[in-house]
Amino acid sequence: MSDLRFDNRVAIVTGAGNGLGRSHALLLASRGCKVVVNDLGGTATGGGKSSAAADKVVEEIKAAGGEAVANYDSVEDGDKIVQTALDTWKRIDIVVNNAGILRDTSFKKLTPEDWELIYRVHVNGAFKVTKAAWDHMLEAGYGRIVMTASAAGIYGNFGQANYAMAKLGLVGFANTLAIEGLKKNVRVNTIAPIAGSRLTETVLPKNITDALKPEYVSGLVALLCHEGSEETGGLFEVGGGLFAKLRWERTEGKLFKLGRPITPEQVKNNWKHITDFSKVTHPTNINESMGPILGNLETKAQGGNEFIDVDTALGYEFPPQKSQYDEKDLALYALGVGAGQNPTDDSELQYVYENAPSFRALPSFAVVPALAMVFDAAKRGETAPGMNYGFDRILHGEQYTEVLRPLPTSAKLTHKAKIKEIWDKGKGAVVVMAIKTTDEDGNELFYNELSTFVRGAGGWGGDRGPSAELNVAPDRKPDAVVEEKISEGQALLYRLSGDINPLHVDPGFAKAFGFEKPILHGLCTFGFATRHVIKSFSKNDPRFFKSIKVRFSESVFPGETLVTEMWKDGDQKIIFRCKVKERDKVVISNAAVELYKEIPKAPEKKKPVAAAAGSAAAAPSGEPTSAEAFAVIKDYIEKNPGMAAEIGKTFLFRLSGPDSAWTVDLKNGKGSVTAGGDKGDCMLDLSDADFCAMVAGKADPMKLWTEKKLKIGGDVMASQKLMFLKKIDPKQAAEVVAKMRNAGGGVPAPAAPAASGEPTSGEAFAVIEDFIGKNPGMAGEIGKTFLFRLSSPDSAWTVDLKNGKGAVTAGGDKGDCVLDLSDADFCAMVAGKADPMKLWTEKKLKIGGDIMASQKLMFLKKIDPKQAAEVVAKMRGAGAPAAPAGTGTGKGTVTGKTKPAQAPAIIKALTERITKTPGLAKEVGAVVQVIVTDPDTSFVVDLKNGAGSVKEGTGAADVTLKLSDDTLAALAKGEALRDHYQRGNIRIDGDARVAPKLSIFKGLV
Amino acid sequence: MGRRVNVIGVGMTKFQKPGASDEYNVMAVNAAKAALADAKIEYKEVQSAYVGYVYGDSTCGQRAVYELGLTGIPVFNVNNNCSTGSSALMLAKQAVEGGIVECALALGFEKMEKGALASKFTDRTNPLEWFAGLMSNVQGFTAAPPAAQMFGGAGREYRFKYGTKRETFAKIANKARKHASNNPYALFNQVLSVEEILASDEVFDPLTRFQCCPPTCGAGAAILCSDEFAKKHGITKPVYIAAQAMTTDFDSSFKEESMMKMVGYDMAKACAKKVYDEAGLGPKDVQVVELHDCFTANELLTYEAIGLCPEGGAEKFIEDGDNTYGGKWVTNPSGGLLSKGHPLGATGLAQCTELVWQLRGQADKRQVPNAKVALQHNLGLGGACVMTMYRAD
Repeated sequence: MSDLRFDNRVAIVTGAGNGLGRSHALLLASRGCKVVVNDLGGTATGGGKSSAAADKVVEEIKAAGGEAVANYDSVEDGDKIVQTALDTWKRIDIVVNNAGILRDTSFKKLTPEDWELIYRVHVNGAFKVTKAAWDHMLEAGYGRIVMTASAAGIYGNFGQANYAMAKLGLVGFANTLAIEGLKKNVRVNTIAPIAGSRLTETVLPKNITDALKPEYVSGLVALLCHEGSEETGGLFEVGGGLFAKLRWERTEGKLFKLGRPITPEQVKNNWKHITDFSKVTHPTNINESMGPILGNLETKAQGGNEFIDVDTALGYEFPPQKSQYDEKDLALYALGVGAGQNPTDDSELQYVYENAPSFRALPSFAVVPALAMVFDAAKRGETAPGMNYGFDRILHGEQYTEVLRPLPTSAKLTHKAKIKEIWDKGKGAVVVMAIKTTDEDGNELFYNELSTFVRGAGGWGGDRGPSAELNVAPDRKPDAVVEEKISEGQALLYRLSGDINPLHVDPGFAKAFGFEKPILHGLCTFGFATRHVIKSFSKNDPRFFKSIKVRFSESVFPGETLVTEMWKDGDQKIIFRCKVKERDKVVISNAAVELYKEIPKAPEKKKPVAAAAGSAAAAPSGEPTSAEAFAVIKDYIEKNPGMAAEIGKTFLFRLSGPDSAWTVDLKNGKGSVTAGGDKGDCMLDLSDADFCAMVAGKADPMKLWTEKKLKIGGDVMASQKLMFLKKIDPKQAAEVVAKMRNAGGGVPAPAAPAASGEPTSGEAFAVIEDFIGKNPGMAGEIGKTFLFRLSSPDSAWTVDLKNGKGAVTAGGDKGDCVLDLSDADFCAMVAGKADPMKLWTEKKLKIGGDIMASQKLMFLKKIDPKQAAEVVAKMRGAGAPAAPAGTGTGKGTVTGKTKPAQAPAIIKALTERITKTPGLAKEVGAVVQVIVTDPDTSFVVDLKNGAGSVKEGTGAADVTLKLSDDTLAALAKGEALRDHYQRGNIRIDGDARVAPKLSIFKGLV
Repeated sequence: MGRRVNVIGVGMTKFQKPGASDEYNVMAVNAAKAALADAKIEYKEVQSAYVGYVYGDSTCGQRAVYELGLTGIPVFNVNNNCSTGSSALMLAKQAVEGGIVECALALGFEKMEKGALASKFTDRTNPLEWFAGLMSNVQGFTAAPPAAQMFGGAGREYRFKYGTKRETFAKIANKARKHASNNPYALFNQVLSVEEILASDEVFDPLTRFQCCPPTCGAGAAILCSDEFAKKHGITKPVYIAAQAMTTDFDSSFKEESMMKMVGYDMAKACAKKVYDEAGLGPKDVQVVELHDCFTANELLTYEAIGLCPEGGAEKFIEDGDNTYGGKWVTNPSGGLLSKGHPLGATGLAQCTELVWQLRGQADKRQVPNAKVALQHNLGLGGACVMTMYRAD
């Protein structure tokens, strides 16, 4: 590289008689720059005046062959300094505002003069010089300005209030000039140098100031002043060998909705967010600084007060939590809600005795894990943001519990809770928390809504919520009444199911709350009522139970008699209320139980996408190419900049079939990956495919080497260092690959869909859209976007399950998860006729991007085929453009598209072979039934009788082979039957001894 | 060769399904107490303990034996996958054999979760990665339980080689169920027909659900001692260990692209040879065998690996009934892993317990007539095979 030269450039360096200024001037001049050496010749504190300092530097420059002129004006007369340059060389290109003095003193002792003088020299001086030069620079379309700030200004420093003020003032000054000068190529930067000079002698010990030579700073100044430098608006700390750039960092902060007062308490409550630097931005200009605010202007607060911030709390989703229960938990719960008071009653034993012939969960148990989840979260201090009240304020007002199917006798659960509603009831507020609980397979098992009344937390003028009285007890004699005495110790038993509030057990505690003795849990009464309804209207079979909704209106004391009055309201609903007999008080009102007409069935078990053991399980699809694999490596190296220093070797990869060479440099700089190259400390020869497998974690480099598939030359030991490849996170790798592909790197972009879309897949997407519309919570739950790229015919579809309520749109070119498959396979998948997992293992479905997100597509399995048929029929009835007439009805069309069968040709060829090879039958000696699937056909190969024969259909056989059309074709191409059997592609029934002899298909195609 | 090692006490808990069992320490203590009572000695006479389990944090062994007494003895926690129990047994035997202690406790337990075995630590090198790698080369990797894929794959390989019928595999499970119906300690007491076994859900061709051992909770224990110790306690003619060996994987497990070899065929073969050589006895001298039937396929392979029948002869062996009462041997009179259950850490000691009972003539309805020499085979992927020969004479 050639030296950075300043020939024909004219610079002013203020305060150049000593220290930093002198060093800058000498350096610039040594590189051909003409320098105005300005120095007033005063002391470090601004006293005195002499021409000696400037003259001396000018002499030095001249002695070295450079050009310089001295100027003795104060920077406050900046125009004179500039004039010197203009007079001498008729131009001004560079201004280095360096002059400065100190008046250090504690603020307590600081005089107005100390303040004023510092301001005048540093700020006003820099202003004056720069102002005088500015117009000339704009006119010339060229200028370089450097301001000298200080760490004291950036960070503050004891005794330098005046100096710090001035120095940071220059930063703001420079930042604005950088913007105003940009168009005219006038670039302005600021340095905060640390160097041993007259100004630091006062703050630093001599041995340090000696080491901090001004020369260690000037290199940066010269660079910033060079015509090749485009840096502007920068702030640098420099000195003692350090060169570093500073920038502003801002927390993501807290954005309050506008439209209502923001109180100091709210600011305090959000302090954690406001000061949390784990999520940050780095605004570089006013626009970026204002960005979040501009976005906030349109928002409108929904209200709230110091207890509840509706904007923050409403819609908040708690992190999912897990729990489990087993038979013992169910039995304990049932005992807690009064089951089994008569231990010989089978209808009660079914809830408490795990070996009872029909041991079943009492469905109201579904509230227990949900409530436990809320308690657990509260215990850990995890409350919803914006809810700032304690348990002492809340009352459980209403409860809704729904089970989607009979509860299993044990389950592992995942709970997802959300603040669903917040109502302002005047004095109090009502907060409704919705908790959705799924089982181990991710199928929803039950759902709870807890309505809590928060005393004294209302009154912000918000929505009061629905006020209609639901489930009012009819004005007629109940259709059924159950009366049951609650045992004195009932609360002691119930609390063991998880609600351990001392109010229900501790007499002293209850007294403090104004109760004569501990009260029964409202949810215990809730359980009693559930039993009563099931007993009266579900023939003691809890499996028909669907849901229960209650309002808790009064406390119940253990020992009282509960009377549940029930009224049928239609076929599937029972309205009820509970009273305490002794006090004739309604304790549960506005209550109803819904029953299912038929017992809901458990959904089919889902298969896990990947088994747990072994790295091979996580085989990513959408096989990256070697170019992509190197991009992955490059990305990894960039993210681990220390690697190069640690490894210190270069690697040359020579791939074959197709051939390419790649250099991975882990020696120089931060490391790099480049295509091509012909040397490296360590050279690796292997096939393109093995390399890709290695990076994908599917092939072990060690194993490739022992198998001689990988040859290592040069520094063999260095190859060990490549073990870092194993550390590459497959997810990250997939991301890089997906990014490349989306950018048009690897795979061609999907063709835009035809306006009308392909009928079958268009309809299938309509079915998905319909399903999403009916399950508005899905998007919130799944939180991913999916891009489907279908082939033959080609189309692209985006299924957004991330934003809003979710949407399905034709077209699109990105998604969190990208799925490539054929139109036909897609239709079969939606119709429930093809298993995505199977398509994937058969490589008919490729998944890119967030591979794990593809699991979320399991919801496709939940689509009711009946509903799907309805949507399709409706579309066709309405003559929707996506469904031209004559495409048939129902799902027949969906599977109607099948690839041509390969079996017929193979059968034909086999028949010929048997005819031409008379010995074949003798050799095998068996009748083989072949059942082909996808598309289906079957044929019998008789290799036992006579010369042998082939006939289509089924018949008596010694051995049966069941395989797909594709597998049959693979055998015909010469692949080994044994391998396909081992892989599970062929099922062998009957006399398996025949199987090894069955090379009859080999080479038929 | 060191001193003779006697098995003077054995005990086990009734095996339970996950969720229905006691805590591990309770199971372990119950098994150990049963073994101590059987030996008629007190815990304080035990000089060191070897405690096996797979799933649990470190020092569960201490937690378990501390309930028996805080005697300050050395306690070792042993983990060797499915052969954990036998590995604990082997360490106890070596301690007595080498004269380090006079009396040692070998204890094993497991509290398992429902469902197939899965890896617990996913943030580090999987110890089975070579196995999984080989398997995925040979037959791919599916969503089925990994262990079923491995042993099922070995079953496929064998089946293709020798043309074995599906029924042959199912017959092993049928025999296991029959044997277990006489074992009050077994998890499954219900006999299943070959048809029922074949009709159960397919886990991984050729294995159906009833051909896979269930996740199980339970514990087993054995008290081992020297001749001097036995004599001092007035124990005459105790069952003793005539030979014992452990092998781990050889080249062939990974180099031959063979699922049979991968799941330990050669380990078992070599281990059996060592035991026969050491004892100076062959398979013909043995009457009763407890072998590692985690899947029917593995019982079938093991017949050949340990020399009960020639290679390729398993189907005939089974058809001839040489694996049950009235045949040449009784294999897994306890019901084996398939029916008695397979709590990983406990299995090796439950096998030992069964064989000691058999040799003492205490096996009640499932007593093998004239049992004088017994053979134990316990195998874990990862891998280790431990075989022990016991004698009563």
